[in-house]
Amino acid sequence: MMSVLSIKDLYVAIGDKEILKGINLTINTGETHALMGPNGNGKSTLLGTIMGHPKYKVTEGTITLDGEDVLSMSVDERSRKGLFLGMQYPQEIPGVTNSDFLRSAMNARREKPLSLYQFIKAMDHATEDLEMDGNLAHRYLNEGFSGGEKKRNEILQMKLLEPKFALLDEIDSGLDVDALRIVADNINEMREKNEDFGLVMVSHYERLYELVKPTHVHVLVDGNIVVEGGFELIEKINNEGYEWVKKELGIELEKEDEDVVSIGVCGHKVTSNV
Amino acid sequence: MYSFEHYIHFIDGKMTENNLPKEVVVNDTTITFKYGEPIQLHVVADVKNEMSLHYVFEDNVHAEVIETRHVEDNGVLNRTFITGAYAHVNFFNENEGTGKNTYLDVGHSSHNSMLQLGYSELSDASIEASYTFELDGEGADVRLRMAALSKNKEKKHYKVHIKHNAPHTTGIMDNYGVAKDEAHLVIDGIGTITNGQNGSASHQTNKIIVFDPKCYASANPFLYIDEYDVQASHAAGVGKMDEEHLYYLQSRGLTKRQAMQLITYGYLMPVVEVVDNQMIKERFELALSKVGA
Repeated sequence: MMSVLSIKDLYVAIGDKEILKGINLTINTGETHALMGPNGNGKSTLLGTIMGHPKYKVTEGTITLDGEDVLSMSVDERSRKGLFLGMQYPQEIPGVTNSDFLRSAMNARREKPLSLYQFIKAMDHATEDLEMDGNLAHRYLNEGFSGGEKKRNEILQMKLLEPKFALLDEIDSGLDVDALRIVADNINEMREKNEDFGLVMVSHYERLYELVKPTHVHVLVDGNIVVEGGFELIEKINNEGYEWVKKELGIELEKEDEDVVSIGVCGHKVTSNV
Repeated sequence: MYSFEHYIHFIDGKMTENNLPKEVVVNDTTITFKYGEPIQLHVVADVKNEMSLHYVFEDNVHAEVIETRHVEDNGVLNRTFITGAYAHVNFFNENEGTGKNTYLDVGHSSHNSMLQLGYSELSDASIEASYTFELDGEGADVRLRMAALSKNKEKKHYKVHIKHNAPHTTGIMDNYGVAKDEAHLVIDGIGTITNGQNGSASHQTNKIIVFDPKCYASANPFLYIDEYDVQASHAAGVGKMDEEHLYYLQSRGLTKRQAMQLITYGYLMPVVEVVDNQMIKERFELALSKVGA
């Protein structure tokens, strides 16, 4: 059965600053969408809003998943309904092992909990597929992981949680060529194995899109989708950058800002006096 | 009910049942461990009003002890520890009290003895506790590890003091705490090295994580050192729970309650890592895995 993630006329602000200004986007399972655009124009904001990060305030518009109102759901409900965000900066959680975390996450969406044997089998399998450290299950969640390991761990979680829609935010940053191939192979395997799986990817690089070919490409500038098309758009951006957008569409590019915005949350502060 | 083959049960200072090895002798509320085979003993203490317990580990004794105490409202448990020369003792304390409890521990360690204590302070009680260990003999070593959770309207206050009265002594404490809801949690860590106790080491870590704005938490390190040739350090701090951690776990489908439970477990977990005794490690892990959100 096909699922639909539908975003209509979405306006989102961080504090007083309006970031998204009327986004319309429909994603069906079976499709792969690429979101492109200069830094600071709202790509991560869009993905974070779909997942429900508390710093994003939706001021107007709707997001629905198969007709259900996503915006009224808590973050964990969204996940259990089939949304997954592969994060640009996955959190390091001290003291929580990958296996404790993943088992809880997998069981959260099942009526009958997995047996320990089933879990270990699934975890071992995924660890092998992503060519990760065999000791991963016993390591603390992302703690001391290299950038590439963190990204692979996001894909490992995606595989085990089997979402309907995966949103991958710069999943290719921090990956070397080999790791990128492994990640791409695993994403493709999910696409092939499951027709009821949709994908939205944010990346600046053609390389990822060559390995995981999008069916739809959108360019986001100043909180709006200004151009849409197919793979040819990626090639054009790769060759010419975003300057042509400005010229052809008469849009002023607003650069910087968002990706380095400091997040209004309380950091884990431990003062140390020796 | 008992975790070891050998056990002893007290109710308000009266022994009610026991199965003791030949190396353990009980006289009133004094439990004496004699040299022989390594000893494992589970002590259960039910305290309605006030009770005292005296542990005497004679020279060269090797022992592992678990003490489970059920202390009722306004109950007081006083304990003393004598650790003999070259004795090697691992001691785990688990509180299962309710209401308001008072705990007073005083220990004296002889030369070249080693006493490692684990305190699982996860009970539903408000607690006023003072744990003082004196290193009286050269080369004595005391290591104290604590995991404390204060929740709802509980008030927990711990004063942990390790006093170096002899040269070449080692005192280490690692206190980890979590405060949530409207609870209070205060940990005072005190290390005292008097003049002439050269070559001694006093180290302490006191860390508390606060979950909610109505909590009160304070981690206070004190080092009183009157000798030059020593090693001393303290790391203390109170931090806030990282909201991004909560978001990350919830974005994988864990409810807020489940996520907070994992985070609590995670914050208290480092205590397990510093323990170098399997029994204490396992007891801590078991106690922490039961921590609710």
